[in-house]
Parts: sequence; C-alpha cells; structure tokens
Amino acid sequence: MAAKFDLNDSSVVVIIGSGAGGGTLANELARKGISVVVLEAGRRMEMAEFKNDEIGMFGAFTWLDPRTTSGSWYVTKTSPDLPVWTCKLVGGTTVHWGACALRFQEHEFKTRTRYGAIAGANLLDWPIDLKELAPYYDRAELRMGVTGTHGIPRLPASNHGKVLFAGAKKLGYTKYETTNMAINPVPRDGRAGCQQTGFCVQGCTFGAKWSTLHIDIPQAEATGKAEVRPESQVLRIEHDASGKVTGVVYADAAGNLQRQKARIVALAANSIESPRLLLNSSSSKFPQGLANSSGQVGKNYMRHMTSTVFAIFDKPVHMYRGTAQSGIVMDEARLDTKRGFVGGYQMELLPQGLPSFATNLVPGGWGRDRASIIDSYANIAGVWLVGEDLPRETNRITLHPNRKDKFGMPIPNVHSDDHPNDLAMQKHALAQADALYKSIGAKRTVHRLPFPSTHNMGTNRMSEKPADGVVNRFGQTHDIKNLFVSDGSQFTSSGGENPTLTIVALAIRQAEHIAGQMSKGEI
Amino acid sequence: MGLFDWAGKLSRRGFLAGGAATIAAVAVTGPTILADPQNGAAPAGLNAEESRALLKFVRDLFPHDRLEDVFYAKAIAPLQEEAVKNSSTRELLAGGIARLNASTLASAGKAYADVADESVRVAAIKQIEGGAFFTKVHGDTITPLYNQPDLWPKFGYEGPSSALGGYIHRGFNDLDWL
Ligand SMILES: Cc1cc2nc3c(=O)[nH]c(=O)nc-3n(C[C@H](O)[C@H](O)[C@H](O)COP(=O)(O)OP(=O)(O)OC[C@H]3O[C@@H](n4cnc5c(N)ncnc54)[C@H](O)[C@@H]3O)c2cc1C
Ligand code: SF4
Repeated sequence: MAAKFDLNDSSVVVIIGSGAGGGTLANELARKGISVVVLEAGRRMEMAEFKNDEIGMFGAFTWLDPRTTSGSWYVTKTSPDLPVWTCKLVGGTTVHWGACALRFQEHEFKTRTRYGAIAGANLLDWPIDLKELAPYYDRAELRMGVTGTHGIPRLPASNHGKVLFAGAKKLGYTKYETTNMAINPVPRDGRAGCQQTGFCVQGCTFGAKWSTLHIDIPQAEATGKAEVRPESQVLRIEHDASGKVTGVVYADAAGNLQRQKARIVALAANSIESPRLLLNSSSSKFPQGLANSSGQVGKNYMRHMTSTVFAIFDKPVHMYRGTAQSGIVMDEARLDTKRGFVGGYQMELLPQGLPSFATNLVPGGWGRDRASIIDSYANIAGVWLVGEDLPRETNRITLHPNRKDKFGMPIPNVHSDDHPNDLAMQKHALAQADALYKSIGAKRTVHRLPFPSTHNMGTNRMSEKPADGVVNRFGQTHDIKNLFVSDGSQFTSSGGENPTLTIVALAIRQAEHIAGQMSKGEI
Repeated sequence: MGLFDWAGKLSRRGFLAGGAATIAAVAVTGPTILADPQNGAAPAGLNAEESRALLKFVRDLFPHDRLEDVFYAKAIAPLQEEAVKNSSTRELLAGGIARLNASTLASAGKAYADVADESVRVAAIKQIEGGAFFTKVHGDTITPLYNQPDLWPKFGYEGPSSALGGYIHRGFNDLDWL
C-alpha cells in the first residue's frame, strides 16, 4: 500500500520528479525502508489510457509549459516554442522513451584526458569511471530487463531493422544488432512480451517496455514506504540558517501552495527543470541559487548531436511495424579522430507513423517535391544519428528575465550553439547514413536536422573539485550535504549513447550512498 | 510547422491533457462550411468563395493527387470555425486569399481557385511564402490533414495495432526483397 506522509514530517526524503532518475531512486530507497515522498508536476495516467495515437499521446504526455530558446542550433528556427521534448506525468520521460538502453564507453567518462583541451568546450573528466559504474549498470539492466544482457534474448529484427542491417553489412560495418532494449522479448518479471505494435513512444499498452510508471513507482508503493503526489509542482527548495535544505514549497493540484518538510531533497526534474529550480531557489545566503558556488548550475547543457536520414526505396518497408527503435549500428561510436572530430555516434532506427512523419519531415515545407516523399511513405526507412556533443559554458539554462509560468515561476530559456565538433560529426554521420542506404538501392535520401531535444544532460554536472561542477561522485551537491541531483543533469559528458541506462545506474548507486550516510547520521 | 508547434498551440489554448480528444473532434468535423456557392456565405466566417480558395491553397501546399477534396475540407474545417469565432483570423484568411487572387488575376486573369495551371498558382504562393497567412494556414492544417485515419490506407499506413495484437503476426518481418 502506498504510504501517506504528513507535510510536517521532516524525516522523509523528498524526490522532485518521477522519471528515470526520480522513479528509480524512490524504488531503491523505499526498498531499503527509507520513507520517500515523490512530488511530480504531471498527472498520473494508467496504461488503459494509452492509445496508439501519435498526436494525441504527444499532447497528453509532453511538458508543454512555456520555454524559450536561443542560440545557433537548428531548433530555434523550427520549434522555438518547444526546444526540448520531455514529459510531464508520473513516470516522466520514460513513458515516451524508445527504450534503447546502452552503456557509456570507457573513454567517454574521461573526455578531458582522452580528447585534450578543445577550444570553445568545457571538457571535464567524470569523477567516476566505467569500472566503478559497471556493477550498477548490471543492476539497472536486470531491473529494466535489457535485451542482450544477462541472458535476456534479443528482440527479433523487423523489416525496418533488416533494411538497416543489410545496408550496414554492404558498407562493411560489423557491429549491428537489434539493440539492447529495455523491452521484454518474452514475458519476464511480471511484464508481458513485446507484440511488435510499433507504438512504444505512445506508451506501451502491453507493459512490455520498462518505464518508472509501470515498474518502479508501483514497486516503491508496495513497500508501504513511498507516497507519490501527482500534479504537485515544486517551486522552491528551502534551507535553514546553516545552509541545510529543510523542505520544498509546491503548488498542489488545486493550485494551492504547500510546504513539505524533508530530511533530504533529491532533485530529479530533468536537465531543464532541475537547474531552473536551483536558480529559482536563490536566497540571501545563496544569491546565485542553491548549490551554485561554482557558478556552474545551468551551464554545460548537452543535447547530443542528432539528425535523421530517411531513405526511399522501390519496395515496401513499412517502418512503423514492430518495436520502434530496435535496431542499431555501432561502428561509428568509436573514438577515432581521423574522422575529423572527437567522440562518436550511434545509428539507430527511427520509424514514424504517417501523422508525425508527414507533419515533421520538412519544417515549413510544401509543394510537389515534399508531397512526393510523403507519397512514398510505405517504402521509407529511417535512421537517427545520435552522438556525443561537447559541454560549453555558454550553452545553458537561464531564468527568463520577465516571463513567468502560471505559478509565477520564471520560465527557462534553453541556449545552445553548435560546436564545430558537433557540426563535423553531423556531416560525417549524414554522409555515412546516405551511403548505407544507397548501397542497397535507396532511390533518394532526405535529411531531417534535429527534432526538439529528447536527450538533455549536463546542467548540474558531476566534478571531483567543487569549483568545476555542482555535484560530487554520488550526485550530492558540493555545497549542501542533504541536497542531491538524481537525473541526467549530473552528466559530466554526454557520451555517444542514449542517456537513460546511465541515469538509472547512477540513481541505484546514489540510493546506496544516501542510505549509508543516513544510517551513519551524516545527513 | 508540424507536430511540435501544433502541440504548442494546444497548450496555449489550454487544451493540454485533452489533446487527444480535441484532435479527434477536429478529425470528425465534416466539411460543413464548404458550402456550395449558390447557398451564399456563412454569416460571420469565410464566404463560400473564400472557403473554396482556401481548400485549393491547402491542396497546393500538400498536393496528393490520390486524395479527394473531402480530406482537405476536413483539414481546413478548424480554421473555418476559428474564422467564425475570431474576426482577426477571418481578416487574416480573407486578406491572404485576396492576395492570392490579386496575384493570379494579374498573371492569368482568373481568381486563384479558377486557375487550372498549377504552376501559376505555385508562383502566387511563392510571393506570400513565410508570411503570416501562409504560416497560419500551413501550421494549422498540416496535422489535421495527415491525422485522418481514413487517409492512412492511401499511403500504406496501417495505424493502430494494439487492438489487433500488434504486428507480431501481421507482417512486422515479412520483407523479402533484400
Ligand atoms: C520520444 C523520446 C524517446 C526517447 N528514447 C530514449 C531511448 O530510447 N533511450 C534513452 O536512453 N533515452 C531516451 N529518451 C530520453 C529519456 O526519456 C530521458 O533521458 C530520461 O527520461 C531522463 O530522465 P530524467 O530523470 O532526467 O528526467 P525525466 O524522465 O524527464 O523526469 C523528470 C520528471 O520531473 C517532473 N518535474 C519537472 N519539474 C518538476 C517540478 N518543478 N516539480 C515536480 N516535478 C517536476 C517532470 O514532470 C518529469 O516527470 C527519449 C526521450 C523521448 C522524449
Ligand atoms: S512494440 Fe513492443 S514495446 Fe513497443 S509498444 Fe508494442 S509491445 Fe510495447
């Protein structure tokens, strides 16, 4: 049974956000017998409400509160009102996610050492390495049921996958497969097996896909130690004279302000909202915002180099049939500066149903040429190119000087300029994907530059030294012992891999640290 | 400009959680305001001539010969409704249509919707591309056009599959031409 805690109960751990980081942390702490209150801005949806409806579920899941954007990145021109794509509901962006679950590579934890100093980039090594995180990756994979790990079979290849793999083989690539996916190929751990419906991003109606909504939140509640409060948007984190955090102020479903006391606060609101909250919690003691003595809160925003290539064939592909993102080519993920850039990229399947494909293919586009591409819909294959982008101090989240949301909280601005390294990688990736599809007879390829950003990282980064970042090796803020960051904003570098498995592994590891420090009375 | 702006629009209008229902409602709204010219104009919104030109314009933006007019009529229905309720929308649409007409009258001696030569109409569109009228119509019709389930089979899209047990027994891996 879900617990119910008093607003004045100052023994609880308050977790802000219930997505990949927050949902996992709640489950881990509750299982250790620690009381948690999860405050989630979005509402709680049940699986029965999910529909195979791209446009409808986008409207139902997405965080649509106002955000602005600036900088040279493509999204400022094509989607200025929605620069990033995250979710607002219990389960966070894991309800939408495609479930591609990859580990970071060893060198990606040590970018400053391995890449050297790069002009215009703010590179830093993570204070941890792959070896240290490996046991937690193991636990995350087992929890999420990641295919291709720990004896869990892989998903079968769809038509869309077969096309990708045939092109990869022809091009001489060797590392391609149906991806490590947090999707059950067969029933496992109380979850159904995948039915190849293809609507993974619209919320899996069979529960084959891992999300914190279906797995971690119910498990946490079942311990009797966790309470999840939906439609509760935190506006401020409060502290006492000594600088320790004491609780949070949030707006409840009715719009009334509430104050929840806390022994510890863990911030897991994602890489846009977490720095926004820290900056909005400034006080006379912390005029720059909480945990911001380094000045790094909100900086080093990373969103991956991304682009998509769609290829038109003579014969049917039906890219929408089957597990959406289950297919990957990993040959370009290596570090090889001979290609003209540092870092690497993955090539991952990206199918779209007709409504999203047609509406997003050519921003602002019209006329016969565009229509002829849509007319070929059944014969089209798509691959998403996703690679490491470099942290820059100037790519950052700031509070808007005058625009506020409905609770009076300043809205965030997302600033991003492409680094020359990102552009060099993008160019390479587009050419390779073109070659891949042309090698097996594509008549034409079409490039779609970045969609609103789905991978958001780095805005409260981890650092060995307090001067270089916001949190330490456990996600604990350097400045305030009982304040933690538990989401993707901890990332010191972005890696070339989708971020979520790493977020989950870090949260599992962080829970051990919090429990240990609590039992020693240190926090 | 597509899904992402469409969603932004929904949120600004305060539809937020009801996004699915709203779009479903849009999709079933019939071409009621695509009145035949004899019946004259709807009182406050676009008149029949303007509606006919708007439909032609959206067809030219998204020209699929395989689609009958009814699909485009459904795509413009939300805009027609908005023009009834909102006089600035009405003015924007009527003004844009007037510019298209003026342009084809000058180049071909006919109102936009009466010009048979597509290249003449396309040239008229190029003159207003990116302006307020173009952007509004483009952004507000693209999603309602392609989000009509009746239209999907014409593009080889089979759509929702959960109720049918997914594609696991319906061809997810039937590709045989490689
Ligand atoms: C379409 C799509 C596909 C994706 N596919 C993949 C994939 O295949 N693999 C992968 O690794 N990643 C994927 N991602 C990215 C992945 O979903 C995110 O990396 C991950 O969910 C981020 O976790 P998080 O804990 O940082 O934040 P989130 O999961 O975004 O959770 C943050 C939560 O905090 C809540 N919140 C925010 N502010 C407040 C506040 N003030 N008060 C209370 N609550 C608040 C939000 O409502 C949200 O529920 C995808 C994302 C999208 C959009
Ligand atoms: S394809 Fe599989 S994982 Fe995706 S929604 Fe369908 S059943 Fe769920």
